[in-house]
Amino acid sequence: MSSVTFVGEHLFWGNLGHAAVVVSFISSILATISYFFAEKNPLDQSWAKLAKATFHLHSLAVLTIIGALFKIIYSHYFEYHYAWQHSSRDLPVHFMISCFWEGQEGSFLLWIFWQMVIGQILLRSAKDWLNPVMAVVMLSQVALTSMLLGVKIFSYKLGSSPFELLRNVMANAPIFKSADYLSKVKDGNGLNPLLQNYWMVIHPPTLFFGFATTVVPFAYAIAAFWRKDFTKWLKPALPWALISAMVLGAGIIMGGFWAYESLSFGGYWAWDPVENASLVPWLILIAGVHVLIIHKSTGNSYIVGVILIITTFLMVLYATFLTRSGILGNSSVHSFTDLGMSGQLLVFLLVFVLMSIAMFIWRWKDMPRSAKDEEIYTREFWMFIGSLVLVISSFQVTLTTSIPVFNKLFGANMAPPADVIGHYNKWQMPMAIIIGILTGVAHMLKYKKNSNEGLKKMGIQAAIALVISIGLFFVFDLKNFFFIGLLFAGVFSILANTILLLPFLRGKIKLAGASVAHIGFGVLLIGVLVSSANKQVISINNTGEAINPEFNNKENVENIYLERGKPNNMGDYIITYVKDSQFWVNTYYQVNYKKLDADGNVDYEFNLYPNGQINPKFGLVANPDTKHYWGHDVFTYVSSVPSQKGEAKFINEKTSQVKPGDTIYTNNGYAILQGINTNSDGENVDVNNFKVLLGAELKVYTLDKVYDAMPLYGVENNSATSYDAFVEEAKLKFRFTGVNPEDKSITIVSSEKDNSGDFIIMKAIEFPMINFVWAGTIIMIVGFFLSIIKRVGDL
Amino acid sequence: MKKTSIIALAIIAIAIGAIVSMYGDASTYEGFEVSANNPGKEFHVVGVLNREKEKYYDPQKDANYFSFYLIDEKGKESKVVYHNPEPADFDRSEKVVIVGSMEGDHFEASKILLKCPSKYTDNQVQT
Repeated sequence: MSSVTFVGEHLFWGNLGHAAVVVSFISSILATISYFFAEKNPLDQSWAKLAKATFHLHSLAVLTIIGALFKIIYSHYFEYHYAWQHSSRDLPVHFMISCFWEGQEGSFLLWIFWQMVIGQILLRSAKDWLNPVMAVVMLSQVALTSMLLGVKIFSYKLGSSPFELLRNVMANAPIFKSADYLSKVKDGNGLNPLLQNYWMVIHPPTLFFGFATTVVPFAYAIAAFWRKDFTKWLKPALPWALISAMVLGAGIIMGGFWAYESLSFGGYWAWDPVENASLVPWLILIAGVHVLIIHKSTGNSYIVGVILIITTFLMVLYATFLTRSGILGNSSVHSFTDLGMSGQLLVFLLVFVLMSIAMFIWRWKDMPRSAKDEEIYTREFWMFIGSLVLVISSFQVTLTTSIPVFNKLFGANMAPPADVIGHYNKWQMPMAIIIGILTGVAHMLKYKKNSNEGLKKMGIQAAIALVISIGLFFVFDLKNFFFIGLLFAGVFSILANTILLLPFLRGKIKLAGASVAHIGFGVLLIGVLVSSANKQVISINNTGEAINPEFNNKENVENIYLERGKPNNMGDYIITYVKDSQFWVNTYYQVNYKKLDADGNVDYEFNLYPNGQINPKFGLVANPDTKHYWGHDVFTYVSSVPSQKGEAKFINEKTSQVKPGDTIYTNNGYAILQGINTNSDGENVDVNNFKVLLGAELKVYTLDKVYDAMPLYGVENNSATSYDAFVEEAKLKFRFTGVNPEDKSITIVSSEKDNSGDFIIMKAIEFPMINFVWAGTIIMIVGFFLSIIKRVGDL
Repeated sequence: MKKTSIIALAIIAIAIGAIVSMYGDASTYEGFEVSANNPGKEFHVVGVLNREKEKYYDPQKDANYFSFYLIDEKGKESKVVYHNPEPADFDRSEKVVIVGSMEGDHFEASKILLKCPSKYTDNQVQT
């Protein structure tokens, strides 16, 4: 290898990037140590100065890594494995950003970047908590930057570098024998088509910002153990916890929205391990925030609150381990690459778990406790119960998601439940009901005051909510009576919190963040319930044709066969696959929907353009298209297309002798001969070649449209030439084959294009009330935002 | 008895319930033989496509009928019927995980997961 000098490589950027990785790793170690000693020796300012300097160096190094990697992707330096594997020349710039985090190294880099930004914010805001908090944050940064090292220490490969050269990754490939191998690497592998979506540009940064922020409350909690100061950290840590809850919540639902808008599994949530892995930390964080607020108001429940805040961060690490170690293997539809870092990831997780346990043991006796038993008619009691329900809910999700881990640990042979969604729903639905109701109940009671005077008011509200729920039950035409419970939880939560909110609407809205967030939760609950319970596959195949006896079609016959141009009945719609068109790498299939009213007349119509990318590596990658109405969505995607379109074939040929005014009938419509044109000058026909060139002026009438067509007939001495006229949309072809001087008629041969090889297989789902899901989430995020403003104002 | 203790007990009870339910609902990875002995019960079967035998999908006749032959990890073969269109990229799969149950002479798959490790690590430079 070393004897070859390769030409055309841009080694500078890789060397720069790799050097920056090493600098960022070493500087994060130095910063951790410096912050540690700065905390131990508060009188010696030199440690704090050194810490700050190394952290700035670290930040600079992180920005350099990102710059170098982006340069490599942007300039198509395919000598780098990362650029070759994740990008290609035809990608627009915004998708190049997505290439950045398609690979694991890039998503670690994103996390590192956010944690660095958070460090910079802490530097300016953490004041006297800076040193211990930053020591913990930088320790986590050490772990993360080590994932990018890609160096061999003895025989163990530490991390995986995004600056690895293609020729080193595939050292044995014969292509690298030649010095100018780069001239043969024309293009990269490209970005996974599923990620070629706008949501994939903004969803990962949001989610990773959410993940990254969980380190701050964790670091404050550890710092509190360290300083044995169990009160002062709460005030600065709480806004961070709320930011984390808001951003992580937004990131999770963005993932759901991406799945809904661009994946063809038909929904926004599938209880997939990857989704669960981000949901669990969020649930625990929400519980933790509530318990910390209880503690701030009453002085109780400190230990539980701290456990939850710490567990949030540990669950983020556990999620990282699950999704990146390859352990999920057969249990998820997501594909995971095992970069051989599972050991390293496990060490990362265990270090932080052991550190947390050690802190608890060390300070167990010093932590504040309340000896008093809880009173029932207080706000804190029910908030606490609600938090515990959230914990149980996250416990159940973690348990089933961890089945592959149990297999590994105990050598079991378990597989995820066959009916995954049913399994989770039967646990999570009752929990959601309890939580929804508690968000209404807890606010009626007061902190530290055991009084039941609010009970009567609550009873009246509950009664109103129950009446509304029963009404909605029939409006939405729900079948399962269990759903009244969910509806009630949602309606009661909205009603009770709206009443609480009203006094704050004039001016003091930022005090009402909690009420707003809880209203959002109520709306979300109703949206989730109605959109999933009444989700209806409308593309049920109802042709009734069973040709093969094996086609017993007992259940999931959910796809419809659409021949191009041939209208089909589908539920209340008449749908037609009109045509396909190519845009960049995607094929868009225009599907026309005509909604029928009760009398069978067309009420309104619209077109959807589900698209597919016939990708040489991935096969058909389908993206749905959705028509949004305020009350429901019509969701459509192409599940299969013919692998190869056949040559156009024309059938039902028919010869007619016609005079002007006569009609030619075909299966696709009829044509009337308007007249015979003697001065034709057809586009592709040279008039000078013929003595006479005749054109038959035809008006073609289909069910809903009129077209003009003019087949030509040219005569030169003894020979005659016919030129077809083809009406693409009507799929009709006309050929002018002769003139009959006796009766002044002409001969027209009509034929119809056979489209049986041109079809799509499509699936369509109607989601009612799905806008409630998005609206509820947005309201919830606004609520978090108001709370953050208030808490930051309190600092 | 303090309320805190009652709550703690309730939580332990629910947690045990969650564990039991996980065990109860969990499917298992089995071969066709076990599946055939328990008709109607759902299993996960891991296997490879038998490329010698023909897979069948004719959307013009029925867009929701796809059948193929799978050889499980113990080497036993069975016909598999999937009432959905043929999944994209089916031919390229190295490993197939099907979820479903044995129905008479064939396996009714309700879910198909394709494992194409080559998707991300297709380390072949195309020139």
